[in-house]
Amino acid sequence: MLIQVLLSGIALGSIYGLVALGFAVVFKATDVFNFAQGMFVAFGAFFAVTTITTLGLPFPIAVVAILAASSLLGVLIHMFLIQPLFGRPMLAVIMLTIALSIVMRAVIEIFYGVQARTLTTPIPTGVFMVGDVRISQLHLVAALVSWLCMAAFGAFFKFTSVGLLMRATADGQEAALVSGVNVKVMNRLAWAIGASLAAIGGLFLGQLQIVSTELEHIGLLALPAVVIGGLQSIPGAIIGGLLVGLIEQLSASYISPKSSDILVYVLLLLILMVRPWGLFGQRELGRV
Amino acid sequence: MTAALEIRDLSVRYASKGFALDGVNLSIPKGSIVALLGANGAGKTTLIRSVSGLLPLHSGQITGGSIHMDGQSILNMASHKLVRKGMGQVPEGRLVFKQLTVEENLRVGAAVLPRSTEKERMDAVYALFPRLLERRLQSAGWLSGGEQQMLALGRALVTQPRLLLVDELSLGLAPLIVSAIYKQLKMVGETLGASILVVEQNARLALDFASTAYVLERGRISLHGSAAEVAASDLVRESYLGATREAATP
Amino acid sequence: MTANPSLPRATGAQTLRPLRWLAVLLGIAALIYLPFLLTERSIFGHRLSNMQLLNMGLSQMNLMLITMLGALSLNYLTGSAGLISIGHAAFYAVGAMTAAITGSQWGWPFPLVLVSAAVTGALAGLIAGLPSLRVRGLYFVLSTFALHYLVVFVFMEYQFKFFSVVGIPYNAASLGAWELNTPMRWYFFLLPLVAITYWLLHNSLNTREGRAMQAMRDHELAATSSGIDVRFLRLKAFSFSSAIAAVAGALFAYYLTNVTSEYFGIQFAIQFIAMIIIGGMGSLPGALVGAAVWLLLPSVITGMASQMGDSTGLLRSAFVDHKPQLVQAIFGSLVVVLLIFAPWGIAGMVTRVKARLAAWWGKS
Repeated sequence: MLIQVLLSGIALGSIYGLVALGFAVVFKATDVFNFAQGMFVAFGAFFAVTTITTLGLPFPIAVVAILAASSLLGVLIHMFLIQPLFGRPMLAVIMLTIALSIVMRAVIEIFYGVQARTLTTPIPTGVFMVGDVRISQLHLVAALVSWLCMAAFGAFFKFTSVGLLMRATADGQEAALVSGVNVKVMNRLAWAIGASLAAIGGLFLGQLQIVSTELEHIGLLALPAVVIGGLQSIPGAIIGGLLVGLIEQLSASYISPKSSDILVYVLLLLILMVRPWGLFGQRELGRV
Repeated sequence: MTAALEIRDLSVRYASKGFALDGVNLSIPKGSIVALLGANGAGKTTLIRSVSGLLPLHSGQITGGSIHMDGQSILNMASHKLVRKGMGQVPEGRLVFKQLTVEENLRVGAAVLPRSTEKERMDAVYALFPRLLERRLQSAGWLSGGEQQMLALGRALVTQPRLLLVDELSLGLAPLIVSAIYKQLKMVGETLGASILVVEQNARLALDFASTAYVLERGRISLHGSAAEVAASDLVRESYLGATREAATP
Repeated sequence: MTANPSLPRATGAQTLRPLRWLAVLLGIAALIYLPFLLTERSIFGHRLSNMQLLNMGLSQMNLMLITMLGALSLNYLTGSAGLISIGHAAFYAVGAMTAAITGSQWGWPFPLVLVSAAVTGALAGLIAGLPSLRVRGLYFVLSTFALHYLVVFVFMEYQFKFFSVVGIPYNAASLGAWELNTPMRWYFFLLPLVAITYWLLHNSLNTREGRAMQAMRDHELAATSSGIDVRFLRLKAFSFSSAIAAVAGALFAYYLTNVTSEYFGIQFAIQFIAMIIIGGMGSLPGALVGAAVWLLLPSVITGMASQMGDSTGLLRSAFVDHKPQLVQAIFGSLVVVLLIFAPWGIAGMVTRVKARLAAWWGKS
């Protein structure tokens, strides 16, 4: 029923919004269109399997470990892969992130094997009814946590001084340098945030679906989300994510499960042709 | 007495454009104002970038020479460290944070200060530029050119720098506004005991304001001396003072 | 050598020219002998081990030749029009689908199937290139990304509607009476095809149009101010490039005799990007190198794996159980390393070494 579909759309959309937010932070701060964001999502899911299932760590500690590991991954990638390409054309860096996703996928499969894993966490997976509507507890928790994270980062950006410095760096690297901001550290921080938000997304998507490198494709949906919402706009990324989630669920229910992602890409194409700067972005001349 | 800024034999090249500076010598005595004149493309901004650590951002490289601030070598030092050492910069094109408010712009500049002094320093800047106080909560992108210039200057001044680098203050601004800003700059400089390097295409303004001047032509210093001497020289009179207004190209 | 100071270079080049012809002839001879070498696993009667042959087989050579067509088409596109198409494998799918319709469903003869693939490929390229009239750079790349998903979706729907989840079967390939039923025959069909394609593309890049396009390639503003010409030239280049890719896709399908939509996913598309970076973006020889590395790397790894024998743990996991993954890991890392240290790819490095050698030769 429609309300059912809308609710799962919003739930999934919230997770996509979170991953898209991470993506947008990296893009705004370092101008990198990170094609490996999908693999960061998969990484989060797999690392969750390691910490929760294999190592049996208590859930809160496992979450902290996931955040720490993904932040570290983001920082290392910026340090060794992105920074050396400073000054090179954007497309070269994009191709580097594509190559990175190839390597990450392969390494994860070597390490974990190609069989999909299941991820079980203390998060309840039951269902409760509100009238005629079934609400999945996992969906609810995922949505709530995603919104909480997004709100937390929003607050961080707006109200803390580090957040201010990050916003300044995203506004203009040179201006930030001139004002005494340690831009290098800000960029590393952006990548740490981008990777850890993706990892949280992976933690939820891994439970909602299954933990395999195919999660990359779901994570990659953050890309059209950000473009549709507007590459330079943080709220745009979140709204883009919601939109993608809704479209996905609506088309899966009303058209066919196979077609769920296609409409997203059709919309992406339309936006690119008609309004490339996205729904909430601003037209920037000479940007592309 | 050690100079506030001492540049010796500086040579710089860009990856794509080739050599930009060749054996430049420039000295800023403590507490004085030095003007750096030259046409577009002479290398003035390159010089500023070399001093303030912005060369790598523009694919530039120092190939020789030395730069000392207060006797300490600052060659290739990172920009954020230089700010903490007392260097302030008002870059060409102002480079304010357009999406941040006026207040936030100043807070970014003040971020290197200890928390306790932040408010007092910001108040000092607002006292200097009341217009900024009026527009405290507005996005910097909406300010007029003159106001943005004040903001860029305020952002640099909030740390009470010992050495201030000002690049092309007058570009795109009405002369009256520029004069006013320069007057305030002079006042602030005297109050703080700061040394100021002013890069200007508008030679007349700069020479009125500075005590010594250098002329940069195609990467080399072609003339230097007291402001009066330089203003009276044939070179400057013909090329920079008598010239009709040039089109400002970034 | 005369003491004429104004002609030293010409003399130098002249002494090289017969050498160059010799090298070319030897190369051709080697290429003709290669399939025999690989089939008999021996050189002039001398038996060769698998390891010495880098574990290569003739069917891998053939796949490499087909892939070379794909890589050539992509590098032609980047080199001439400066457009990067992430979803280039979509044109493979277009070709394979056309081949399925005209070949498997309508029973057209093989050569005609290839022609039909080229035609639909060209049309698809025209459509795919349309966004380049409106957006460039990142946004254009994203449009190719989106289009790729669309094409693969259409292929999948087609496959499920007219065939089955198992895949689309293809008839035997034959040129008239001559059936391509052994790897050797495929080789002698594909080799001249690749050579001709290379020659065609090379010439296209050297026409006035081609050079104008390349000159405009990196200068966006110059291109727009010069008017519509360059934009349509780009569309032409895209069409040409996709036509070739589609033919490659059709050949791919016929060679494998059965394909599913999974063969053309974004994973595969990304491989082409990696190939051209390794070989050298925008360079035709680079496309050949990239495709060769892509295809030969697995063989080399397999060879090394057989040496690994009794190792355990991660090494075993990598080399024995997950060979394709190891190949991908190495492949991807190669791209990363090249992008950081040698963005002009292997072909570019060779060019530089040659230039340095020429300078050294000229001096002495």
